[in-house]
Amino acid sequence: MALAALAGVLISGYMLLYKLGIITVLACGTGSCEIVQASPWAVFLGIPVPLLGVAGYGLILVTALIGIQPGRTADRRIALILLAAAAFAFGFSGWLSWLEAVRIHAWCRWCLGSAATATVLFLLALPEIAVLRGGRMVSQR
Amino acid sequence: MAKKGKAKGTARGRTQTPNLRLFYGLLALVGVVGIGWIGFSVANQSSANAAIAPIQLTGINTDSLLKQARGVNSGKPEASAQVIVFSDFTCPVCMNYVAMIEPQIRTEFVKTNRIRYTHYDFPLGGEPHRYGFIAARAARCAEDQNAFWEYHDVLFGRQNEWAYAREVPLDIFTDYAGRLNMDKDAFDACLRSDRFADVVTANRVLGERLGVGATPTIFIGGRSYNWSDYDAIKAAIEAELGDTTSQ
Repeated sequence: MALAALAGVLISGYMLLYKLGIITVLACGTGSCEIVQASPWAVFLGIPVPLLGVAGYGLILVTALIGIQPGRTADRRIALILLAAAAFAFGFSGWLSWLEAVRIHAWCRWCLGSAATATVLFLLALPEIAVLRGGRMVSQR
Repeated sequence: MAKKGKAKGTARGRTQTPNLRLFYGLLALVGVVGIGWIGFSVANQSSANAAIAPIQLTGINTDSLLKQARGVNSGKPEASAQVIVFSDFTCPVCMNYVAMIEPQIRTEFVKTNRIRYTHYDFPLGGEPHRYGFIAARAARCAEDQNAFWEYHDVLFGRQNEWAYAREVPLDIFTDYAGRLNMDKDAFDACLRSDRFADVVTANRVLGERLGVGATPTIFIGGRSYNWSDYDAIKAAIEAELGDTTSQ
């Protein structure tokens, strides 16, 4: 999970630098990253979506790194944070992808990369359910 | 992923298993490569402060959009017959339209002051249209010096020279301004700022609201027409003129 979360931090960080104007050209390939980034949905509750991504993936990264330490592998609080954060990231990314398809009519490949990362994180977080139920640590943190 | 390498005793320092250390090494490698790539992207930008992509428009409703969106007119300003074209300077089809169809409209209807002919920006974005937005801004900077249409023709005529350039073609655009005897310094200052980013963005949004899905899209009397069918375009214009003269 830590590796995937790090990829998420890097992708979101790249988009955040664009949003802040530090990067003026996105390496977007055949996508329409600028259009997606200029849409009203690029800001959620007043917060730029890439900033939410950096914070969310950062939380998963730090929690996963703590969770692989000896003595923490069966920590139910760690399992709860990882599962909840990964589920939120998965749902939020799904909603953003739906917006790209239905409302914005443009695809940003970095956003799709982030959505794929969130999906991987969610799948990797599912074994945390066993930890929450008091089982042994078998997750892929 | 890292859990497979179980730690024994404390996890600090040398008591970590080789697998866990290997994982940390891999994590660090990914981090360094990722940050390095982002740093390289930042360092290799030549566009300085030039706005090259649509911006966030505040309070987008129909009224505010119509105030921010602005076409560039030629022909008779008060003419009741109007041809509106949404186009992207990087679009090869638009280049064909400008080379083959637009000259006929200009000759027959614009230069004779029978219609108002209006250009609206519709930067497509993404590859291979990544420079459509900055090109639209460049044309607006030319408009500042009353040279929009001349610059428009140069941009389309030399599209292959700049549209696929490796770097943002700011220097090329400024060079074109010089060739058209414009004030290069004023043009360059305009280009390397965010001037007209709002107008170009608003034009794009306006096009989306009007159902523009491709470029060029030509509106005459509220209907869109196939860009390549000059006979249909001409008939539509004449119908508009006929309607207006009969009123």
